[in-house]
Amino acid sequence: MSSAPVAVQPLPQGGVARMVGRRARDWIPAILVLVLTLGVWQGGVKAFHVKRFLLPAPSAIWTAFTNNQHALWREGWFTFQEALGGFAIGCGAAVLLAMVVARWRPLGNALMPYAIAANAVPIIAFAPITNAWFNPLTKSSKMAVAAVLCFFPVFVNVVRGLTSVKPQQLELMRSYAVGQLAVFRLVRIPTSLPFLFTSLKVASVLAMIGAIIGEYFGGSLDSLGANIKQDAALFQFEKAWAEILVACILGIGFYLAVALAERLATRWQPPGGFQSE
Amino acid sequence: MSAIAIGQHGRPRVDGVTRSLEKASLFFVVLAVLYGIWEGYRWLGIHFGWTHPFAVNDTTMPHIHDMVNALFQPTRAGGPLLVGILWRASLFTAKEAALGFAMGAVGGFALGTLLAHSRVLQRGFLPYVVASQTVPILAIAPMVVVWLASLHVTAWISVAVIAAYLTFFPVAINTLRGLHSADRRALELMRSYAASTWTILWKLRFPASLPYLFAALKVSATASIVGAIVGELPSGIAGGLGGAILNFAQYYTFAPQNLWATNIVAAALGITFFLVVLGAERIVVRRAPENLA
Repeated sequence: MSSAPVAVQPLPQGGVARMVGRRARDWIPAILVLVLTLGVWQGGVKAFHVKRFLLPAPSAIWTAFTNNQHALWREGWFTFQEALGGFAIGCGAAVLLAMVVARWRPLGNALMPYAIAANAVPIIAFAPITNAWFNPLTKSSKMAVAAVLCFFPVFVNVVRGLTSVKPQQLELMRSYAVGQLAVFRLVRIPTSLPFLFTSLKVASVLAMIGAIIGEYFGGSLDSLGANIKQDAALFQFEKAWAEILVACILGIGFYLAVALAERLATRWQPPGGFQSE
Repeated sequence: MSAIAIGQHGRPRVDGVTRSLEKASLFFVVLAVLYGIWEGYRWLGIHFGWTHPFAVNDTTMPHIHDMVNALFQPTRAGGPLLVGILWRASLFTAKEAALGFAMGAVGGFALGTLLAHSRVLQRGFLPYVVASQTVPILAIAPMVVVWLASLHVTAWISVAVIAAYLTFFPVAINTLRGLHSADRRALELMRSYAASTWTILWKLRFPASLPYLFAALKVSATASIVGAIVGELPSGIAGGLGGAILNFAQYYTFAPQNLWATNIVAAALGITFFLVVLGAERIVVRRAPENLA
């Protein structure tokens, strides 16, 4: 019995080391694919003298990226602020309304079909309208589109999360004569967290798309979207690809930040554990 | 006996009818309330001169009946009715989106099936398929359109390509997930009968993947419309809904109701695509998915 901890202790360490090793090996094919793709791309462009405006070589895109880094990050930050603002407004409003709707179920039953239908609507087509509401050069016009885009998936998912509480849990709470607010705090909100974060991850991508596509419909030249559109039209493809690279880096960063927040907020929960019982 | 039988069969049917009647009336009540909120906000905004978050006036918030009315007015004297223009534009955009949706779904399904059968390929490509879900992939739309145009690809087909790649990734991921969701015991049974990989794929894995596949197709149905509309923006195609939106956005200050009417039609097109896939799912999938993320 006393030797058990000693016997157990080395095992996880070896396990971790092996896991890291295995993980590194897991990534080898992915890295190979990336290297091969870039190699074939670079080699093909050079070997067949592909015209610069058809497809710039990765090295040319990288040069454009490093040469314009300062301007690119400034444009990226401008667009990212729009996405972040829209994300906060849209997700905040969605969570608040979802809580109201989860409390008064008939209201939820009445509104849900509309929310689900709205998820099937190409909301991005409203970008010119928000451009007309606010000055298209302002950030608020893109925030508005991003907010509307974020709203519906988050709303639908949070309502689903708040209302997918197990009846036994509610009965237990009732048997303890716990008030409505405490039920919300102790049962409904923890149950809804995985649903919330799933939708927040979707919303983080949608917010970036909303901001960039909103800028395609007309926006400040300090922004990524307006510059991508302009550079593509002017056949400055290296710069346009460098801007897309920035958009992708910011998009992945945003997504990873939400995923990290999810890890922190649902740490008490074993993965997938909320459904397993 | 027969009376009981009728009672047993009749009651739920009546219940069903009343329930769907209730649902329908609730639907219209909510519609009326939403209408009231729009018009109420508009009235209050104009009455008190609200300028925050945006100035409320006839241009920013046209009457809803004006938007609907605009559909049945010609956009210029002697021209065709707006609804006719938008009907043709919707058909055009629907054509692009449908072709893209078909290409993306077939390609995504093929890649998902390939990845499901090779661990090495899965490790090589899956990270990129997953990462593609986290980047604003629509940002590449102008590049694709301009690039394909320089290769002398017909403009509407390059728009379909954009709709295709929006469909491609979710379908690939969910096909892979669905093919792996097949019951292990059934898989072992098939193997013990020495069933070939193809037989296992078509008789077991493919049916098991259908709920997952349709979950992706429902998302992609909307995404393909979005892709088609956004793809039309840089391509200079005037015949579709994206072109119509650009056109009416330019004249927004003169006739805001036209842009709103166009958006109503775009929304209807998105919902129609979604409902078509939903209908197909109802016909094809009988098993409810137990655990879909």
